[in-house]
Amino acid sequence: MSEAKWMSKRTYGLQSPPSLGVPGKKRYAMVIDLRRCIGCGACVVADDPPCVRNCPTQATYKHESGFILQRYNRCIGCKTCMVACPYNARHLLPAARTDHSQPTDVADKCDFCIHRVTRGLMPTCVTTCMGGAITFGDVNDSESEVSRMLDTHKTMTLRSDKGTRPQVYYIGLDGDIADVAASYADRSVQMREEFNIFKRNRLGAGNIIEGESETGPVGFPLQVIRNMINFVKDIVEKGYR
Amino acid sequence: MEKELIMNAFHDVYWGVPISIYFWLMGVSAGAHVISGFGWVFGLKKYKQVGLIATLWAILALLIVPLILIHDLGKPMRFFYLLLPFYWHNSAPMSWGTVLIMLYPCMMSIYAYFMYKNNERMAFIFGIGSILSAASTHWYTGVVIQLNPGRDLNHTAIASLLFLVGAFISGTGFLIVTFWIMNIFLNPLKKIRDSFQEGFIKRFIKACSIGEKVEDSLIVEMGQVMAIGIVVELILTLNEYLQMIYGTMEEQSNLYDVLLGAFRVPFLAYVFFAMLIPLFILYLSPIKRRPFGVAIAAGLVCIGIFGMRLWWVLGGLFQQSFY
Repeated sequence: MSEAKWMSKRTYGLQSPPSLGVPGKKRYAMVIDLRRCIGCGACVVADDPPCVRNCPTQATYKHESGFILQRYNRCIGCKTCMVACPYNARHLLPAARTDHSQPTDVADKCDFCIHRVTRGLMPTCVTTCMGGAITFGDVNDSESEVSRMLDTHKTMTLRSDKGTRPQVYYIGLDGDIADVAASYADRSVQMREEFNIFKRNRLGAGNIIEGESETGPVGFPLQVIRNMINFVKDIVEKGYR
Repeated sequence: MEKELIMNAFHDVYWGVPISIYFWLMGVSAGAHVISGFGWVFGLKKYKQVGLIATLWAILALLIVPLILIHDLGKPMRFFYLLLPFYWHNSAPMSWGTVLIMLYPCMMSIYAYFMYKNNERMAFIFGIGSILSAASTHWYTGVVIQLNPGRDLNHTAIASLLFLVGAFISGTGFLIVTFWIMNIFLNPLKKIRDSFQEGFIKRFIKACSIGEKVEDSLIVEMGQVMAIGIVVELILTLNEYLQMIYGTMEEQSNLYDVLLGAFRVPFLAYVFFAMLIPLFILYLSPIKRRPFGVAIAAGLVCIGIFGMRLWWVLGGLFQQSFY
């Protein structure tokens, strides 16, 4: 059986091989022009995603056209995909949602708006980007806009050294911002304080605040105890979900 | 606050303190179980007396683990999905880990049963199996967080070795402290043992050697065994430390911003409590041959290794939580 037939038989294409540059295959990608970007935040979709290979229940899978999709009914919320993702591109859906038909407490991620793309529309972020900074399309199609952008501009990807083959390309990306260690070390006092405020407002099980008093011999154990109390308190709350 | 949420700039530490506690309990369980195997598998007669009670502690520590793990899930009621064959995913470490975590207590229970029945041959056979499953289960806890290339602090090949050696010393330390406390309360324990009428419970308590003094020489010997483990742990940590100093920007940032920064308390607790102070007590101090001294060192090791589990799990996720 040829590879193409074998692939077509796998509806979900759990571990589809990377399709970048493979003739006859689609490989959707995104180019973000940071010269036009106002910094509203963006997603990352990888061609060799660690979240897919680490998911224990096959809840996350990679479509052969490059979409990384989530089966909410299979997800147990173990957060392995979040730990595996070098981009923090994955998140847990909130426990309380306005629309009760929506999934809760399961992992999710940007799926390049597959529901729109398969109907011939562009992803929502592309259509709503007020600067027109985002270009989307099939990178294996040499006639597409996204291929033309990649051919004519110098592009960079985020943390490509992690072996993920990311398919979101940036034009005009500053290397110091893209590097996680540099961005951590160079962050301002204001950003540190905002980080602490964010953490203080979260009831997460492991959020450690990095303020001077909180990381000391008294503060650190107190943080650990507080986190554990939150974890235990959550037992009662989870019973109602 | 709104800005960070909208920009998706700050993230939670997904695997938090409960997962650290799970790693610590798993290590204590595996370490205690290996000590139990000294007598019944490796043939050291001195350790036979404590074989059953060591395994019981290992089972007890392991009983807490599923409660923590299942509650940490976003959907706790779906935990059994991990066991369904058609949900099985070969490439996911957690799939294999689930099998190991299921296998380990089963093997341990059968091994404990044959120890109770004093069936040396079967205890030997299941002892080998359960020690292998104990080692592989704890090896898995190192691997599950090691196989994440995005987490620079954890993405190191010696992760599982550090975990295994840490498990061995914390398990041994936990048993030493337990035996020392049991020796202190020897008379009350004897009274409790004698208060039962002849029957299953009394036979079980006797098989566990509860109410019998654990020899001081055994406690001191366990301390020496623990000291060898601490030396190996020290070498591995030194190796990792050197790699971080001479390392890439990520590794240096991990050392200075995480280990010596926000996580300096658990990291220094690990270095001093789990390694340097116990080594001093066990090799150089005047109380090195006394059960009291060995128990102090063992207690410090348990605290220090918990510190290591904290910075290991939380630290790797912490740095990137800003990105």
